Amino acid sequence: MRLPEEELLAPGHRACPGCGEVMALRLILKALGRRVIVVQATGCMEVVTTPYPQTAWRVPWIHGAFENAAAIASGVEAALRRLGREGIKVVAMGGDGGTADIGLQALSGMMERGHNVLYVCTDNEAYMNCLDPSTLVLTEGGLKRVSEVRVGELLYSFDTQKQTLVARRCSGVFFNGVHDIHEVVTPHHLIRATPNHPFLILERGGRGGRNRLVWKTLSQLRVGDEVVVLKKIPYGHSYRFNFRPARIGDPKVAHLNPVRIPERSSPELMKLLGIWLGDGWVRPERAEVGFALPEGKRGRRELVGLSQKVLGTTPTGNESHLYLYSSSLARFIDSLGFGRGAKNKTIPAWVFTLPVEERKALVEGMMLADGYSLGGSHRYVSASRELLRRLRLLLQTLDYRVGKIHWQERRKGERCVERELLRDTGFGYLCFSRKRAPNLEEYPSQCRYGDHLAGNEFFEMERIIELRYAGRNQTVDLRVERDHNFIAEGMVVHNTGIQRSGTTPFGAWTTTTPAGRIGRGEDRSKKDMPSIALAHRIPYVATASVGYPWDLVWKVRKAAAVEGPSYLHVHCPCPTGWRHDSSLSIRVARLAVETGCWVLYEAERGEIRITFRPERRRPVGEYLRLQGRFSHLTEEEVERIQREVDERCRELGLGWYG
Amino acid sequence: MRQLLNGNEAAALAAKLARVQVISAYPITPQTVVVETLAKYVADGELEAEFVKVESEHSALSVCLGASATGARAFTATSSQGLMLMSEILYVVSGMRLPVVMANANRSLSAPLSIWNDQQDSLSVRDSGWIQLYGENNQEILDLLLLAFRLAESLSLPTMVCYDGYILSHTSESVEVPSQEEVDAFLPPYSPSLRLDPDRPLTMGPVGVPEIYLEARYMQHRALRGAKEGFVRVAEEFGRRFGRRYGILEEYRTEGAEVLLLAMGSLAGTAKEAVDRCRERGERVGLVRLLLYRPFPGEELVRALSGAKVVAVLEKDISTGWMGALYTDTVAAFANEARRPLFLNFILGLGSRDVRVEDLEEVIRTVRREGEEGRVGENPRWVGVKKEVLE
Repeated sequence: MRLPEEELLAPGHRACPGCGEVMALRLILKALGRRVIVVQATGCMEVVTTPYPQTAWRVPWIHGAFENAAAIASGVEAALRRLGREGIKVVAMGGDGGTADIGLQALSGMMERGHNVLYVCTDNEAYMNCLDPSTLVLTEGGLKRVSEVRVGELLYSFDTQKQTLVARRCSGVFFNGVHDIHEVVTPHHLIRATPNHPFLILERGGRGGRNRLVWKTLSQLRVGDEVVVLKKIPYGHSYRFNFRPARIGDPKVAHLNPVRIPERSSPELMKLLGIWLGDGWVRPERAEVGFALPEGKRGRRELVGLSQKVLGTTPTGNESHLYLYSSSLARFIDSLGFGRGAKNKTIPAWVFTLPVEERKALVEGMMLADGYSLGGSHRYVSASRELLRRLRLLLQTLDYRVGKIHWQERRKGERCVERELLRDTGFGYLCFSRKRAPNLEEYPSQCRYGDHLAGNEFFEMERIIELRYAGRNQTVDLRVERDHNFIAEGMVVHNTGIQRSGTTPFGAWTTTTPAGRIGRGEDRSKKDMPSIALAHRIPYVATASVGYPWDLVWKVRKAAAVEGPSYLHVHCPCPTGWRHDSSLSIRVARLAVETGCWVLYEAERGEIRITFRPERRRPVGEYLRLQGRFSHLTEEEVERIQREVDERCRELGLGWYG
Repeated sequence: MRQLLNGNEAAALAAKLARVQVISAYPITPQTVVVETLAKYVADGELEAEFVKVESEHSALSVCLGASATGARAFTATSSQGLMLMSEILYVVSGMRLPVVMANANRSLSAPLSIWNDQQDSLSVRDSGWIQLYGENNQEILDLLLLAFRLAESLSLPTMVCYDGYILSHTSESVEVPSQEEVDAFLPPYSPSLRLDPDRPLTMGPVGVPEIYLEARYMQHRALRGAKEGFVRVAEEFGRRFGRRYGILEEYRTEGAEVLLLAMGSLAGTAKEAVDRCRERGERVGLVRLLLYRPFPGEELVRALSGAKVVAVLEKDISTGWMGALYTDTVAAFANEARRPLFLNFILGLGSRDVRVEDLEEVIRTVRREGEEGRVGENPRWVGVKKEVLE
């Protein structure tokens, strides 16, 4: 049996990597060919394949609503017959939600009336939805882009019981495909996430009522809502540098200047680096570290002192600049991750792991270079937007009040912070100031009224000042153990959601059937859709799996050849919802069949015949263990699933061997 | 040829004359006879159409959606709860610019359960993007449905023709029925340029991303606004061919009227009686009857109503918690007009509470008094509510 090479589903659609449903779609279209009309229910497949003005469909395709694919298909079929247009197969497609739950009525009607329609259910066993990949998340190793977080890493999390900061293990990273992204803006934080992403919000109980923290999705947030945000990170340890200084004998090294390269960070070094960040540059090829510090500027005196203390050397220079010549030092500073060039400077992640004094020292150094203070308010100026952004985050971890980043363009010759500009440039500034601590002893209720977490060491409440749409982008989500939340861009966010459907299997974790102290995941068995189809006495019913593509293709062709209703139920793994790596989709699909959790059969005119018998049926644990959604199951619960599977296999005549 | 037909039979006959190709409807009182009559036509071979016996109204309109998208002329009929059940799909059909035609026998809305007449059902879906026409008698049901097919297909906008349940649907009247040839000359076969076809594949109903949704809805809105002229043009041709002239509204004895009544549907028939009695007494009272409700003909209504001192908007519906729909739409049309009559809203006839000529004469008396005094009393006023409840 051969499949055509032509792709009737164009690449470039927005499905997640490893998506089982879209694999099924591609195979089904190859099996059917061009003479089809596809009627699709609302669902993952509809959304990822038709982001206007693009479409992945090279065959005629129509989508109406969530629950009526079978009814629309009935209309298409009736029209084709009335118009005398022959040789066109009508295929209705829906996910498990659009078929087994909300779509059941229309499907039943279509089958009962006997329309010549092939109905395919692509079953990923739940209703599937995350963060923009550039979102910065607080891990124990410092600030990281959420897309760079690895399973097993420790993330900072909000312990909902004790309301403190704790470190928790990340148990999954999921790339969820392209979605709408919205921005949640508070006075000191900004985060980009999908509308179904949960945030921890204060629900006020009103007069005489209690205030409490609840999870609300972004789409439910309103301007003015109070969200839990991170105040500061008190922890930190000095950073041990991984740098090998130059030695005599290294290429081009004949002479070493007496410069001591520090092995770990210290407040003095950080202050020096802060000054460098604002006013310095490095040219490793010239072994040069330079500072634009004119005489009279306070930073200059400080730098000289720090350089002597930390590096054991005195800079040389003239009335406008200071220099340190050392190839080791130049390479060292270059290796720290601060970037090169005024517009590209940034604060690397490791700085965020430093103790408070060292972080403060960096800020002090930066202020000596490019900052100025007006009373209690400080201002830092820079030509690097990224630097301002990172500084803002760093200041938040130090419990400062920070403002927006103000950006402007200036012309050559204008004065800017004691200097004339050499060329047209853009730069920005950031204002920040110390926060006043609330007087909790004297005014406890008033303080708590304003800030529900007043007095909390690590967290506080902030009001949402803006909610806006930010375009479409790839999204990423994390799964965190226990409290299931992490801190992204300073805000406490939950890992997202995957809601149960009628075909969600027993024991599976979903957001509407979460596992906790009392609830243990989905407590109902999978709705047996193929049997419901059989009960309608239609000519052909079959189950299939993307893990067995030829079996699937064979069944698609058989079903399509039927003159009348046919029903095909395809089991499709979903890495996002089932919480497994996207490279494992086929393995998971095969294990489902090899363990008997999913049985491949067909029923012609009601007579069931198994089309694939595993040589030896594997224990269900091998299938369940690969998926995060079953990770909470106890031995007894797994045994119960095994018993159910055994019973079902016995009914179908599938034993333990062949 | 004249036939004695009740409203439902007239609707079914119109669909047959229009040579509909796919019918999908679910029975519901008081529309049931439409479905039964059509089923009989098909069974007797008088109408060559696919009759899809759907399991709910939601599926009924979904079937029409699929059929229309494939290039077939599709028709459905419903009332009240059925219209509510299919309301989700109303918006999908209009958003997809499919020219489905529907006959709606106006019936009250549950709860409390009522199979009787008022216009709450169709008026509560006035935002759904469908053209809405209201007939006063069975002749109009037939004529407006034929007009609807032509209008819908020329503009790619779904259209519903509404008529009062029981009052029209179950009452027989003498109706002039055109011949099949005459209708064929007026209504050509449906052949859309865009349809589901493997020879020219296209994608219908994609995701409306924020970058384009606003524009899509704007374009649809503009097209619906254009249906006003569209209706006038098509009605004009209809008038030339069949001799019966229809306009966006009908002005009945409005010359020099100080008091004007505004109404839709069969209620206008009773109102015309009341107007006649008043005119006999020398009172200057008139009636404006609205046929085209959506798109709302604000300008035409302003022209027709401006001359009066006071306008009584009579309607069989209520936007519960505020006023009637026709009232709020009419007042909005006058919002920025320098010359505005006084407007009073009367809610009557809900659930087939009988509206007699005497009741309307009483309404006119109230209206004239408040018009003279220049001040409006209670607004809206519910006509016929039992005294013991009013306290």
